[in-house]
Amino acid sequence: MSDVVEKTLTALPSLLSLDSQPGSARLSTNSKLGNLIRGITELTSKHEEEKLIQRELLLIKEQVSSPNTTMMKEIMVRAIYCEMLGYGVSFSYIHAIKLAQQGNVLEKRVGKCKKTLHSYPILSLPVTMDLQSTNLIEVCMALTVVSQMFPKDMIPAILPLVEEKLNHPKEIIRRKAVLALYKFYLIAPNQVQHIHNKFRKALCDKDPGVMSASLHIYLQLIQENPEGYKDLAGSFITILKQVVGGKLPMDFNYHSVPAPWLQIHLLRILSLLGKNDRSTSEIMYEILDESLRRAEMNHNITYAILYECVKCIYTIYPKTDLLEKAAKCIGNFVMSPKINLKYLVLYTPKNKNNT
Amino acid sequence: MIKFVLMVNQQGQTRLSKYYEPVELSRRAALEAVAVRCCLSRSKHQVNILPAGDVFVVLKSADRLLMAAGIIVLEEQLLIMFNLDSVHIILDEMIQNGRIVETNKCRILAPLTAIDKMADG
Repeated sequence: MSDVVEKTLTALPSLLSLDSQPGSARLSTNSKLGNLIRGITELTSKHEEEKLIQRELLLIKEQVSSPNTTMMKEIMVRAIYCEMLGYGVSFSYIHAIKLAQQGNVLEKRVGKCKKTLHSYPILSLPVTMDLQSTNLIEVCMALTVVSQMFPKDMIPAILPLVEEKLNHPKEIIRRKAVLALYKFYLIAPNQVQHIHNKFRKALCDKDPGVMSASLHIYLQLIQENPEGYKDLAGSFITILKQVVGGKLPMDFNYHSVPAPWLQIHLLRILSLLGKNDRSTSEIMYEILDESLRRAEMNHNITYAILYECVKCIYTIYPKTDLLEKAAKCIGNFVMSPKINLKYLVLYTPKNKNNT
Repeated sequence: MIKFVLMVNQQGQTRLSKYYEPVELSRRAALEAVAVRCCLSRSKHQVNILPAGDVFVVLKSADRLLMAAGIIVLEEQLLIMFNLDSVHIILDEMIQNGRIVETNKCRILAPLTAIDKMADG
């Protein structure tokens, strides 16, 4: 898992550098946040940092009572930064909520961002209003916030709104609705019992994004009860075949590997389904062979896919030639000059049991 | 499950932190200090994955941007910091509930560009 995370997070720097042109809605380099950050960077002692931040917090307290929303956004971002460094900014929470209700879209987003750093029940009112808005971006933001933090007791109130979004024409909203339902399932599984057939619909959705979002829910469901989902093994195998066969649009490729995280997810699901089950395992052998073959490039992400493949092969009902190929793969990892691969094979707890 | 994402500069100052599990404010500073200390002292020839308590911290350096489930060590990329809100938005699109949910670059940036368009126009 950790190598998967590693590969994922490698993608982030390039994304952020794409985003580096300052727009008019962005904070300029001369802004107060900029000065604050520069100030903190230059200081070397904790004591001085505390003094600077306390001064900044006093300043924020004064400015925060102003009704001007454009300033509010910058103040909120500074408050987020201070809080991240560990200083209490609880006085700003109520203003964050106000900002989330009024103000234009970006300001709302910043207000919500601030609040998602803490769980706050009052949040549910602006979120409910935004979910019903006709503005797509507001709906997206509301759904994102819902899937990050939402009080358990407010779920019944908001569940019908989220369910309705599952049928929205825009794929991004369907996808976020699925993720919100995933969160609800994690915190209150009994409340979403009645909509399992909607998850199936999401799995068969023609958009790959929505489908891969539903896989998160399925992974969780299958971990708890593999027997109940054996009938879906065929669908998962078909999906994996399509992904490996390059049927997805080009922008799902990462370093010329088609949707690697999706492949990894599917491999994990398949290993859970095939465990101790000969008949289900037998239908998987072909696709596992194919995945092993395709993931032969020497790139970090293909190592992650190979790792998952190998884990799957070892977990399900064994087949000799697949086991041989998997063993060869492990051998390659161990002999490889890359230390991470050696570590992965030798020290991760799962492999300790297998080798 | 990803428990947290940290971006840290070479001096060990936290630039951005995002937690996917509830962690008290007071504990966060201690957690970050421990994680950062381990990561900054790693050399290139050591493994990137390290156990720290009950959590595996994976770090990745790419042009001195160290990232993990995890830590990022930034070179002085203040441009990222000046757009802290955008960074949060991007991270939210990529990782939710501690799981990686979207890795398609266009889709991750779509809401952000839409928000910018609305804010400008």
